[in-house]
Amino acid sequence: MKKGWGLTVYAVLFVAFVYGPVLILPLFSFNDNTFATFPLTGFTTRHYVDMLGQRQMIASLMNSLRIGLAVTVLATAIAIPAAISITRYRFPGKPAVLSMLMLPLVVPSIVLAVALLVIILRFLGLPLSLWTVAAGHVLVALPFCVSVLISRLEGFDQSLEEASRDLGCSPMQTFRRVTLPLAMPGVISSLLLGFIISFDEFVIAFFLTGTENTLPVYLYSQLRFPNKLPGTLALGSVILVVSTVLVITAEVIRKRGVQTDNPGDY
Amino acid sequence: MSDDTKTNRRGLFARGGLFADRARRREALTGIGLLSPALVVMISMLALPVGALVIMSFWTQNGFNLDTSFTLDNYRRLFARSDRVTEWMGMTFHLAYPVPAILMIKSLAMSLMATVAVVLLAYPMAYFLAFRVTRYKAAWIIMLTIPFWTSYLLRVFSWKVVLGYNGAINSGLMSLGLIDKPLEFLLYNPAAVVITLSHAWVSFVVLPIFVSLEKIDRSMLEAAADLGDSRSRRFRRIILPLSMPGTISAALMVFIPTVGDYVTPQLVGGNGGTMIGSLVQLLFTKQNNAPLGAAISLVMMGIIAVLVLIFLTLIGYWKMRARRAS
Amino acid sequence: MNRIKFIDRMVQGKLSRREMMKGAAAFGVGATMLPRATNADELLTCLEWGGYDDASFFEPYMEKYGVMPNFSIFAGEEDALAKVLAGFAADVMHPCNYSVARFVNAGVAKPIDTSRLTHWNDIFPVLQKSEGVLMNGEIMMAPADWGNSSIAYRPDLVEPDFIADPSWSIFFDDRYKGKVSLLDDFLVVLIGMMVDGQKYDDIYNMSGPDILAAAEKYGNKALEISRFLWTDATTLQQAMASGEIVACYAWNDLIGNLQAEGVPVAYANPKEGMFTWFCGLTLLNTGHADEAAAYDFIDAWLSPETGKALIEGSGYGHSNMKSFEIADPAAIAAMGLTDPIKMMETSIVFRTPDDAVQEEQVRIWEDIKALHI
Repeated sequence: MKKGWGLTVYAVLFVAFVYGPVLILPLFSFNDNTFATFPLTGFTTRHYVDMLGQRQMIASLMNSLRIGLAVTVLATAIAIPAAISITRYRFPGKPAVLSMLMLPLVVPSIVLAVALLVIILRFLGLPLSLWTVAAGHVLVALPFCVSVLISRLEGFDQSLEEASRDLGCSPMQTFRRVTLPLAMPGVISSLLLGFIISFDEFVIAFFLTGTENTLPVYLYSQLRFPNKLPGTLALGSVILVVSTVLVITAEVIRKRGVQTDNPGDY
Repeated sequence: MSDDTKTNRRGLFARGGLFADRARRREALTGIGLLSPALVVMISMLALPVGALVIMSFWTQNGFNLDTSFTLDNYRRLFARSDRVTEWMGMTFHLAYPVPAILMIKSLAMSLMATVAVVLLAYPMAYFLAFRVTRYKAAWIIMLTIPFWTSYLLRVFSWKVVLGYNGAINSGLMSLGLIDKPLEFLLYNPAAVVITLSHAWVSFVVLPIFVSLEKIDRSMLEAAADLGDSRSRRFRRIILPLSMPGTISAALMVFIPTVGDYVTPQLVGGNGGTMIGSLVQLLFTKQNNAPLGAAISLVMMGIIAVLVLIFLTLIGYWKMRARRAS
Repeated sequence: MNRIKFIDRMVQGKLSRREMMKGAAAFGVGATMLPRATNADELLTCLEWGGYDDASFFEPYMEKYGVMPNFSIFAGEEDALAKVLAGFAADVMHPCNYSVARFVNAGVAKPIDTSRLTHWNDIFPVLQKSEGVLMNGEIMMAPADWGNSSIAYRPDLVEPDFIADPSWSIFFDDRYKGKVSLLDDFLVVLIGMMVDGQKYDDIYNMSGPDILAAAEKYGNKALEISRFLWTDATTLQQAMASGEIVACYAWNDLIGNLQAEGVPVAYANPKEGMFTWFCGLTLLNTGHADEAAAYDFIDAWLSPETGKALIEGSGYGHSNMKSFEIADPAAIAAMGLTDPIKMMETSIVFRTPDDAVQEEQVRIWEDIKALHI
């Protein structure tokens, strides 16, 4: 296939659009000024020292990371069988089930948050903790995870699964050896979406957390203190750099293991 | 080929008659079994809140207490007509309490614009990922989501710095000598909201569209090419229709939640940034009228559901899916 | 039943790691990644503004107890109230004077016995009997931090006539269209009425058609003139620093923060008056901790050392008169204050409208904003 340059140029512009604004964070995290306005006033690393002093912020980042990981793994684990069921099996009431799975999208988050809070405290009598936040996040992440997995599995060439069954594989084996690898792009996307949703969610986290904070809750409360801003910019930059390095390293290590140019391969 | 096998198998059962019911029941049971974890989550965590919402919408707030006698007043209040005419953006409202209706329209319009922008931005990128990128694909995908790990508030803040008075764009244009005074129309208006929302949601849309493009059978495209189809024709005849269901569901994933979003409009939308979500949030907290908030939420959910259904019917989504499932 | 037991034991920290793993595996959840909940029963739980959960604000408490209390942070009192009403158990809350009544009327606050507070007699007398502190003859809040709300402006960017005779009218002046910022609050309407010659004390509790008409008049004008109505101090100070806006409704801390970065800025004493707000600690009746600990925490907040930390660290005032004797005079000057006692007596202290009036005002204000394009 002849490849047009137009699309490549677009992709570069797109990456610039996605990264452009967030590159503001490292830029101003080294700027010797409390306020993030041009022109730049000089180089400093003091904001990073500030950041390290903000124990609560670091702790809330860790909480958010843990919740995010737990939520995305749980939500994806629940979403995989659900998506398989919806795309592979016939049963009555499927449209109703499907719309129910999408329901958390329409319910305003303040409504969900307050209602879940009342249920947890009044009916279940459980103390608020990061667990309760994670539970709420699984609920809001599910529609995204299910939907992206359905996109992958729907209308997919099912002959491979059938071949596997016909060759005597158990449903579990078929799932592990055929369906799951085929669904991999969907699974990766689902994990990424679930993580972002939990990591960025504010309203539910605010109401359902007890005495530990998630990063968005912490940052939101810090808006009252403008001189804490540079420290949060430094934190954003660290997240950006660390995650980029992690992704590149993981990819290099993995690619060393399997050399392949197959376009469908991950 | 796969389609044939499947029809044959099902056909066999159908012709056999004897096994048809049992097989179907087994299939249904397995299907529901696989769904059960998701259903448990939904029912345990969603049924009660939504049920409470419905019941509450028929109550009245009385100071800090709830008057639990059944009434339709909250709904009546939303639809009550009045001779007093409220004008907004050239539209006239003959409602006694026009605020929810106006905010609903404003939110729908904002959300629609953002959704269209997001899909138009995301589709070519997803196409690029699916068809042009051959190596390090997973890395590419993850790289596109990394900016979204930096926390929403920081990203909105970054946009303010980009669009702001002494921000990146203004400073850039001024140092190039193109303008001599900062442009003030970049921030605190609906366009800023659409830009910021587009940025916030774009990866939520690239991923699903990419997933639905990625699974398109390459041999189909090669066959079409061998038969002399031009690239644009292959795109229109094969790629676009096959990726449509995924694209639509991705678009809905943006449209539906952004109708109720109020944080972004409030942060970058300026004085006209109030949305229906802000009203609901305030009714549940500051305005201390949860029953009215519940009624507005339910009406909002209903309107979104109806609009989505109309949209899907108009574009023939059900047929599209049915065709692909068969 | 088993499940509840499991969670119970886990919460009490009685489950071993191995049991946890087993249990988690049985559930089939990836729950092991979640942090373990700690035993929180005896510790004091405070609902606190983010950023005030810092040990420098309650050193005497730390000396006595050695551990930080539990903090649940919030960004607005109404959100915190919603959380308490839903059943969240907190012992102490940090409201501002105009919202204490909300907690009292909701039935979650209890009176403070000032004889159990060693620093009570050093509190500014004005604050001791202010609205929100004294309600129906009982002390419902121990005032701690306070500040002013006035007009901060850029002397290099405003017109000379404003500097000569500062007035809140700048926020309704067409010459400043798109260059000023007021707070996103019903107070905007009251400020408009004050510019028109009315007294704050006469209008703060107004309701009905008169206030609606005033709200439409001044609210819409303010929305038209203001670049944006601010909800967070970071956005505001950022905009002042960049010159995007030249004057704004601001708290004292803005002056120090901007001056520290060399931005020219001044705090006006407008002819209609400047405002004083104050916040403090309220005892809640929902908590599980020992009441003595709650009193120790409140008393720690009232100590002069806390005042010094507050004045020097965040640019806000403190309720204990002695704090101003031991704090750095430069920090006091950076607040835009020369004589705190005099200021306290001449400024307008925010008052609390009745619950119904407050709700009506919020509704009117939100409706006006909603209809603004």
